[in-house]
Amino acid sequence: MTEPVGTGRALPPLELETIHAFGPTRAYAAGARTDTGVEPDKRVKTHCCFCGQQCGLELKVKDNTVVGIEPWYEFPFNRGMLCPKGVKRYLQQAHPDRLLHAYERDSKSPGGFRPLGYEAAIRRVAESIERIQREHGRDAFAILSGASLTTEKTYLMGKFAHMCLRTANIDYNGRLCMVSAGAGNKKAFGVDRAANPWSDILGAEVIFITGANVAECAPITTNYVWQAREHGAKVIVVDPRITPLARTCDLFLPIKPGRDTALFNGILQFMIEKDWLDHEFIERYTVGFDAVAAEVRPWTLRRTAEVTGIAEKSIQRAAELWGQAKTSFLMHARGIEHHTHGVQNVLGAINLVLASGRIGRPNCGYATITGQANGQGGREHGQKCDQLPGGRDLANPEHRAYVAGVWGIDPNQLPQPGVDAYEIMRKAHAGEIKGLLSLCFNPVVSLPDNNFVRAALEKLEFFVAIDFFLSETARYAHVVLPGSLQEEDEGTVTQVEGRIIRIRQAVTPPAEARADWRIIQDIARALGREQGFTFESPEQMFGELRVASKGGVIDYSGVTYERIEKNFGVFWPCPSETPEGVPAPGPQGTVRLFEPGSWNSVAKGAGPFYFPDGKARFVATPHRGPAEDVDAEYPIILTSGRVVSQFLSGNQTRRIGPLVDNFPEPKVEMHPRLAARLGIADGDWTTVESRRGTCTLRAAVVQTIRPDTIFIAYHWGGRKSVNQLTISAQDPISKIPEFKVCAVRVRKAEAAPDYAGQLEPQQ
Amino acid sequence: MAEGRAREPGPKVAPEVLRAVLHGIGATALLGVLIVVGSRNLSHFDAALVAYTFSILFATFGLTYRYSMWLARPPTAVYWRRGWQAFFRRGFRVRNAVSWCSRMASDVLANRFILRRGRLRGLTHLLIMWGCVLAVAITFPLVFGWLHFRPVPGDLSLYEAMVFGFPAFRFPHDSLVAFLLFHGLVWSAFLVIAGVMLALRRRIREEGAVALQRFAEDFMPLILLFAVSLTGLMLTASYTWLRGYGFSFIAILHAVTVIGTFLWLPFGKFFHIFQRPAQLGAGFFKDVGRAHESAECRRCGHAFTSRMHVEDLIEVERKLGFRYQMPDSPVEHYQWICPPCRRASFALAQGLAWHGRRGGEPLDSRGERPPAPQFVNRGIGAGPLDTEDSENYHP
Amino acid sequence: MPVPERFEFFIDASRCIGCQSCVQACAECDTHKGQSMIQLDYLDRQHSTQTLPVVCMHCDSPTCAEVCPADAIKRTEDGVVQTARKPRCIACNNCVLACPFGVPKMNTRMNLMMKCDMCYDRTSVGLKPMCASVCPSQALAFGTREEMARLRPRAKPVNSFVFGAQLIRTKVNVMVPDDARKEVVDVTAAMFEPAIGHDVLDDVFEGGDA
Repeated sequence: MTEPVGTGRALPPLELETIHAFGPTRAYAAGARTDTGVEPDKRVKTHCCFCGQQCGLELKVKDNTVVGIEPWYEFPFNRGMLCPKGVKRYLQQAHPDRLLHAYERDSKSPGGFRPLGYEAAIRRVAESIERIQREHGRDAFAILSGASLTTEKTYLMGKFAHMCLRTANIDYNGRLCMVSAGAGNKKAFGVDRAANPWSDILGAEVIFITGANVAECAPITTNYVWQAREHGAKVIVVDPRITPLARTCDLFLPIKPGRDTALFNGILQFMIEKDWLDHEFIERYTVGFDAVAAEVRPWTLRRTAEVTGIAEKSIQRAAELWGQAKTSFLMHARGIEHHTHGVQNVLGAINLVLASGRIGRPNCGYATITGQANGQGGREHGQKCDQLPGGRDLANPEHRAYVAGVWGIDPNQLPQPGVDAYEIMRKAHAGEIKGLLSLCFNPVVSLPDNNFVRAALEKLEFFVAIDFFLSETARYAHVVLPGSLQEEDEGTVTQVEGRIIRIRQAVTPPAEARADWRIIQDIARALGREQGFTFESPEQMFGELRVASKGGVIDYSGVTYERIEKNFGVFWPCPSETPEGVPAPGPQGTVRLFEPGSWNSVAKGAGPFYFPDGKARFVATPHRGPAEDVDAEYPIILTSGRVVSQFLSGNQTRRIGPLVDNFPEPKVEMHPRLAARLGIADGDWTTVESRRGTCTLRAAVVQTIRPDTIFIAYHWGGRKSVNQLTISAQDPISKIPEFKVCAVRVRKAEAAPDYAGQLEPQQ
Repeated sequence: MAEGRAREPGPKVAPEVLRAVLHGIGATALLGVLIVVGSRNLSHFDAALVAYTFSILFATFGLTYRYSMWLARPPTAVYWRRGWQAFFRRGFRVRNAVSWCSRMASDVLANRFILRRGRLRGLTHLLIMWGCVLAVAITFPLVFGWLHFRPVPGDLSLYEAMVFGFPAFRFPHDSLVAFLLFHGLVWSAFLVIAGVMLALRRRIREEGAVALQRFAEDFMPLILLFAVSLTGLMLTASYTWLRGYGFSFIAILHAVTVIGTFLWLPFGKFFHIFQRPAQLGAGFFKDVGRAHESAECRRCGHAFTSRMHVEDLIEVERKLGFRYQMPDSPVEHYQWICPPCRRASFALAQGLAWHGRRGGEPLDSRGERPPAPQFVNRGIGAGPLDTEDSENYHP
Repeated sequence: MPVPERFEFFIDASRCIGCQSCVQACAECDTHKGQSMIQLDYLDRQHSTQTLPVVCMHCDSPTCAEVCPADAIKRTEDGVVQTARKPRCIACNNCVLACPFGVPKMNTRMNLMMKCDMCYDRTSVGLKPMCASVCPSQALAFGTREEMARLRPRAKPVNSFVFGAQLIRTKVNVMVPDDARKEVVDVTAAMFEPAIGHDVLDDVFEGGDA
């Protein structure tokens, strides 16, 4: 099935048979879902299963089927607002593609899998884990987890890896998402959470949005931005494309992908020249400003313009607006984080905030916009390769001792930090990792250079995937276990603001499908290591998580389900007890971080930031270009991102018919100037090649992108996947891959690609 | 510029009213004559049914008056004229006759378009419609004395049906045919009651229906039909099983419900029975329009409907007092702008109001003609609803 | 029940981000479930990301109803122009072509015009319409005038529109700057105006262009 291509890697197989048997197919409303005479049995107040905003909504349930949604007007974050994904999410439940049984690979069966009894499947998984770990060592079995899971499950996954399997190699798909922001925030502030609630956006004079397609990736935030504008706020957007929000922003900076630190340095230099600095704040609450000032000194407007590709006047205007504002909010997302210098970019942005002194006060804020449902909670409690619950470090002996104590084991039994998600793939490819369990992760679509990932998965001796649909990745599994949808389980997640909220079960898992945490516990039991894995409810897990996080930076100990429900969520840190003289956080927890005079468990009163001296860190950010810059052979920059109607690897959203219709297939977005040079017209089949792969899609010729850059959305798999082209170079600190820049060449395709006519848009 | 619309002042009794009254009188008189003739100078007229007869005569006046008034409205008048013109167009007559038959069969007889709105909905309408058609086909000739049965002289086991006083056919009085024929109204009542029940179920159950329905418009007709059918069945029950118990009371009750329904015909929902066939005319109008010149939008340049349709609408709007004309613009009249460009103009006007206050500058269109706006989502249920809608938006 | 008078619909199309939430949510409305009545177009995708959200404006004197040969379109006492009455509509397309805002849709297979009825099933019981409930940019908003004045102090609602020589008043408002001199929006005057937006090339540093 595979065809060789000029760039070295084989085109992915079309997998028509598998698609025929397991989808993705598109579901539309029918039956009880279109019958307006159906009175729902219940309405469940819960949250959207998709992005990090976690909008509140009500699911209407009839006969164990989610038949529709109703806005939840009281939930304060979104007050009923929803994006199209939230409106149509209900169609993922009771879906014809839903996995109802366990399956095992069998080339003779239709689609390559045959059903397997649940117990037999669990036994096979346990035996394989046991054998691989016995023959090749504990670390030869790795775990990939996800940040769309409830916090309880992410906690359990970390515990399962570290205590049950005792493997060092667990990581999660937040590695593709939040890690640069997390690392940057920890370096600068000592804590990794949005500094402010979104309500602080409303009173800001200047809103600086960089590397975030807010309108499509965090749609509800749009209203916050517009609301601020209604009171006179100026909106600055930095993006290679004119995103829908950028269309009417006050200042648009069309940055060349991969040059963000240069821009931040240039703006800071201009602020220093004009002395638009908050000297008192810098003096009192920060360290390291002088080194940063020295670093940015060469970044004149001219040089910044040359490097960033933004007109000088526009950079100057940005510096003027930002430098002279009284209140402000800076937001960024993957646009500056998906880089080999993602952490540097984040620190560059934070330097602008710290120099302005506008943080820790009402209407003065800073935040990274989380991408995944539990992008925040998923990175807090121990499923990252170097982490333990409560934001503790796996390498820190005190932290190890505390968590081992909670779990009732010897600290020495805990493994040392393992490797990141992409490194797990490299080790699998190299034969060091032989077995893999994945939950809530679709690396065949979502990792860069994904033809390499496919090859790595093919080398595994044993691969078990837990999923509700047969994802592109699960197609490579030896055993597939039927897991649970968000609406089939209880729990909590922590949304973009750092607000812990409640996910409520609306329906029960169908047939042999189980809540994911039950599956994990069943595996532990089959391994004969059920100690610590006998939870009977998510709330019990949450109880243990509270203890395990107590005293850590990310302290959940004062949070209960009841408190969350009563207050529309609780912001962490929320310790159950505070030292004498320190007021306990209010019913909603710590809503705003870094307020002057505030107490935290690291500074212990020395200052508002999470370092022993209580001061924030300026970190110098020398500009480095992308790992792969354009050259004569590959002269065009490729950048990637999302569309509003799809989510991540599309395993769910590509099965929801109305969302597929919203934006059926990926396109190569390019400026008419570039298109004219290449002889490409709107709608033409266009081949994009990088050193790693090739991809043929239709062109969208639009003036809303830089002429030196093309854009492709990443939610599709197989031959439509832009991640065949992207580069797996990673940030040395955060290990985030450089999704946002690589070099490609583009030409008009000679013919329509093979998949055209054989695959539906979502397949 | 004018707010609302200025109608031309007219005499106290508008000519269309006078015309409608005359039409009403004419139609009623014609029916009266037919009754007299058809019943052989009332010799076969059943005096007990005189109240029915008069209520039908009144309904005839009302219906004709309302129909005539309806046809006098500018949009209807245009359609009426154009529909017939289209139908009798030379070169199209045979095709039109064929298509009339097929449209009649699928739309009117089989209710295909209602079945497409919902299968249960279609079934409901079919039950009510055919129940009523059957009942009318039986009762009207009886009431007018156009049909009566008599024993065949010489053979008492046979009945003979007399139509307009002429013998039509004979049948044994104890045969199945006789049973079916003499109980025709029972069968029609069953059909109507089943349909009414389904309709009521929908009206009680479905949120959409609940929100929009009105008592007089939507429930009254169902109640009337139900009352007619039920009292009719009670009459049958009374003389079949109860030896005529309460017969005269039930008969009066039945008469009241039937007469009430007749009197209601011209005013409420039942008027659609007479109005609905206009959809056949609309079909011919569109056929002819498609076969001739199309109208191109004077903003984006795309064809969007027939030129005839735009011109007729301009005329209709003028008669209604609308002033969509754009005298100082090459567009001439707003009706020459397609629906998507209307939406574009609306949004452009609002966006322009914010220029200078929100970011962005007018984007240079380099003198090009503005492109037709494109619907963002052409998916199921989201984009154009079908081909004609696509034409309205142009592909 | 009528729609409570204090609640009004406010459109600010220049807030729209084209996400299609309204399109998707509209199809969840009980009066036309499965069919979306929202008109959402790209103005000119090649040049701009601008999108145009259009719901029924509910005219005081609706052209669609006047040009309907079948009397199928009714305006309720609370000013909501209802979708075509099903028994009457003959699918002639007059309303689709005559509506000054380009709102109605034609379902020829069902012989039925369909259009936004301001979610009468919701608004008549005091709920917000689906589209205005979910709209993430609040380009479509539903609330009281006081609420609007508080949230958007630099804007004011206008409900009079000029088309050629015709003035149309509507139940639904659009937001214009509070210091706009005219209390009307001249739609036909803007017909050939360019869209407002940014041009990438205005802000690109050309010297460094690849």
